[in-house]
Amino acid sequence: MNLPPLKKSGQVRKPWNSRSLGNRFQHRIFYAFIRIGGQTLAYILLYIVVFYYVLLRPSVAKKTDFYLLKRFPRRRGWERFRDRYRLSLSLGKVLVDRAFIGITGPSRIKIRFEEKEKLLSLLSPEKGFILMNAHAGGWQVVLSAMPLFSKPVNMLLERDQQDADLHYFEHAGLSSPFRIIDPQSFLGGSLQMLDVLKRGEILCVMGDRVFGNEKSVVEIDFLGRKAFFPFIAFKIASAAEVPVVVFFSYKSGLKRYDIRVADIIHVSPDIGRSRDAFRPYVGRFVVALESFIKDHPYDFFNFYDMWSLN
Amino acid sequence: MDIKDQLKKIIVEELNFEELEAEAIEDDIPLFGDGLGLDSLDAVELVVQIQKYFGVQIQNMDEGRIAFQSINALERFIKERIPE
Repeated sequence: MNLPPLKKSGQVRKPWNSRSLGNRFQHRIFYAFIRIGGQTLAYILLYIVVFYYVLLRPSVAKKTDFYLLKRFPRRRGWERFRDRYRLSLSLGKVLVDRAFIGITGPSRIKIRFEEKEKLLSLLSPEKGFILMNAHAGGWQVVLSAMPLFSKPVNMLLERDQQDADLHYFEHAGLSSPFRIIDPQSFLGGSLQMLDVLKRGEILCVMGDRVFGNEKSVVEIDFLGRKAFFPFIAFKIASAAEVPVVVFFSYKSGLKRYDIRVADIIHVSPDIGRSRDAFRPYVGRFVVALESFIKDHPYDFFNFYDMWSLN
Repeated sequence: MDIKDQLKKIIVEELNFEELEAEAIEDDIPLFGDGLGLDSLDAVELVVQIQKYFGVQIQNMDEGRIAFQSINALERFIKERIPE
């Protein structure tokens, strides 16, 4: 595996940050538009702002191209510009919708999760499970649907201190509907994650982002090239003997999102810690993600080079 | 084999530190970070192995902070909780 050199502690430089493009003032303008004219007025502003960013900010082109060059390798010129615009606009709409439900209330956007009862019937009521998502579709909006589960929800979430973005519950001045586990805390939060699962709670993780540890990533073919994916969630699932439920969400209407369960992965207990043992499980997640991206090509928002850890 | 030796054997064999001699692991060296260099994945595996070999559970992060300081600390933690 072609990985960058390790530091003493086994950490590599984190190849992404969670900071949003706009500053606090620009975000406030959007919030004001939502308050004055609702989601529609904010969308009108969004079309213009995204056009500006895609046309005049080379950093936006660079970030979107990591993915778009793999998803649409033959596209050039106008087609490439249109792809960058559609992808950026799609993310912008999700962020506007997230602010919209924060400001006007979660009930203003319908989140359809038709397989919820079927999913719960497949899972043990005493045991917890891992909900594995990706930076795809409406994940930022469907967080508001987490109270649908009767179990406490915990989320592995790193937040940049400079990030101007607010989660929906922060707009509304509400307390978080889920507990946050910080991947920068003691031992990457791994013992905390194990603990909540053993208590029968839900742990929500992103399966497509590496938090910077060379020992816990595997290389898997993703959109035709080897990409890096973390496997620690599968290790924790094995240790806690809980399943991994892979799910994705997408915007299916102006005020509607759908959640789909893509796979339920049961990891063998006592699997050890060799990287190769986890490759088949991570591979199943990647297959599900590729299938989602095939159907929703402008709904993948991992804006860094996940095909390289450098 | 005493608890310390068993723990060192677990680290070498189960955590794939095969380039390391079990005897070379010092009893008071920090297990994580700049010490022995174990990481979060190793921590999860250690939790599993300690339960398997000694029947002792590391229940949460607070217990982990105490137990995972060194081989000495881990031995103390196990001795206090090991089933008779």
